[in-house]
Amino acid sequence: VGRCGALRIMLADQGQEWKEVVVDFPEWMKGTLKSTCVFGQLPKFQDGDLVLFQSNAILRHLGRKHDAYGKDGDEAALVDMMCDGVEDFRLKYVKMIYQEYDTGKDTYIKDLPNHLDKFEAVLAKNKTGFLVGNKSSFADYNLFDLLLNHLVLSSTCLDSFPSLKSFVEKMSARPKIKAFLDSEAYKKLPINGNGKQGFLR
Amino acid sequence: MVGPYTITYFAVRGRCGALRIMLADQGQEWKEVVVDFPEWMKGTLKSTCVFGQLPKFQDGDLVLFQSNAILRHLGRKHDAYGKDGDEAALVDMMCDGVEDFRLKYVKMIYQEYDTGKDTYIKDLPNHLDKFEAVLAKNKTGFLVGNKSSFADYNLFDLLLNHLVLSSTCLDSFPSLKSFVEKMSARPKIKAFLDSEAYKKLPINGNGKQ
Repeated sequence: VGRCGALRIMLADQGQEWKEVVVDFPEWMKGTLKSTCVFGQLPKFQDGDLVLFQSNAILRHLGRKHDAYGKDGDEAALVDMMCDGVEDFRLKYVKMIYQEYDTGKDTYIKDLPNHLDKFEAVLAKNKTGFLVGNKSSFADYNLFDLLLNHLVLSSTCLDSFPSLKSFVEKMSARPKIKAFLDSEAYKKLPINGNGKQGFLR
Repeated sequence: MVGPYTITYFAVRGRCGALRIMLADQGQEWKEVVVDFPEWMKGTLKSTCVFGQLPKFQDGDLVLFQSNAILRHLGRKHDAYGKDGDEAALVDMMCDGVEDFRLKYVKMIYQEYDTGKDTYIKDLPNHLDKFEAVLAKNKTGFLVGNKSSFADYNLFDLLLNHLVLSSTCLDSFPSLKSFVEKMSARPKIKAFLDSEAYKKLPINGNGKQ
């Protein structure tokens, strides 16, 4: 799932279809594909002739194309801000998963409220069920994906955050998202590359 | 005359370096609200910040946090976000790459300076080569298209920091060297880099550079 979780959920919700090219690790280590990647990393995303790297650049591109980037320039700036906040949170999660799972997982879970409270406050203030304005943006899909990961890590972590809990419930219930989350394509993939925290269902 | 922009930040270049250079190059004026650390630790301002962090940026009534969101906002306002949707996506990609590189720099500066500085400098070519390749391929002197974008200002600021760390680190990267020279020579940037306002601020909050 990793850094494609949010963009797959976004594509699904936007009624898009897409092709998956799966790269296995031995193949990657040969370096042929890697040398063609601008920063030597995946994911790689193609929209016709446009080739993109960096998961958040992909999200922003889809936000522009599918009207999921706020209603005007001011909202766009707030969507950017919220997505950057999700990215900061995702970096902490990824660090724990890949570097400190056995030793740091419990501390990480205890410390979660200090990160969750920021997003709880924004949702509670906005009251629309979205982070910015009154429609979904790429920042919402990004946060939703990250919260799903955290619920696998700690199924009760949102219990004292009613707006976040409601946000996850509402996003999960959107018909196209629900269908995607129920699909084999989604369920068969582990969240992270090192197998920590296993499958979502 | 000061426009509608206000930057609230600590007395460092840090994560405002790129956006100040961008504002200067775009001929903008702005107000600086300097926060000292004891004041910050009291928590009053911090509790009003969406993620509990600075910088804080005001454009009239719009209040923004997250340095890259500020750069993107300025990119939209000052036509420094590529010429169309495809270029905008490439500008985003390049800025995210700069951010990844900045995170490594910041980690070394704040957590591993004494023990990790030499290894970091030795390893720099593995990061610089990515940007060298993009500039060499694009040939316009900018990362994307044929005009400056917020990604250029972000990269330029980060490269200036690295030249302080290691003055020879760009010597085997002709496109990066030329990029820094050209950006530095832009009249408004040159004036800003020569100013007291710029020179008096340390790069980082812990005095390491």
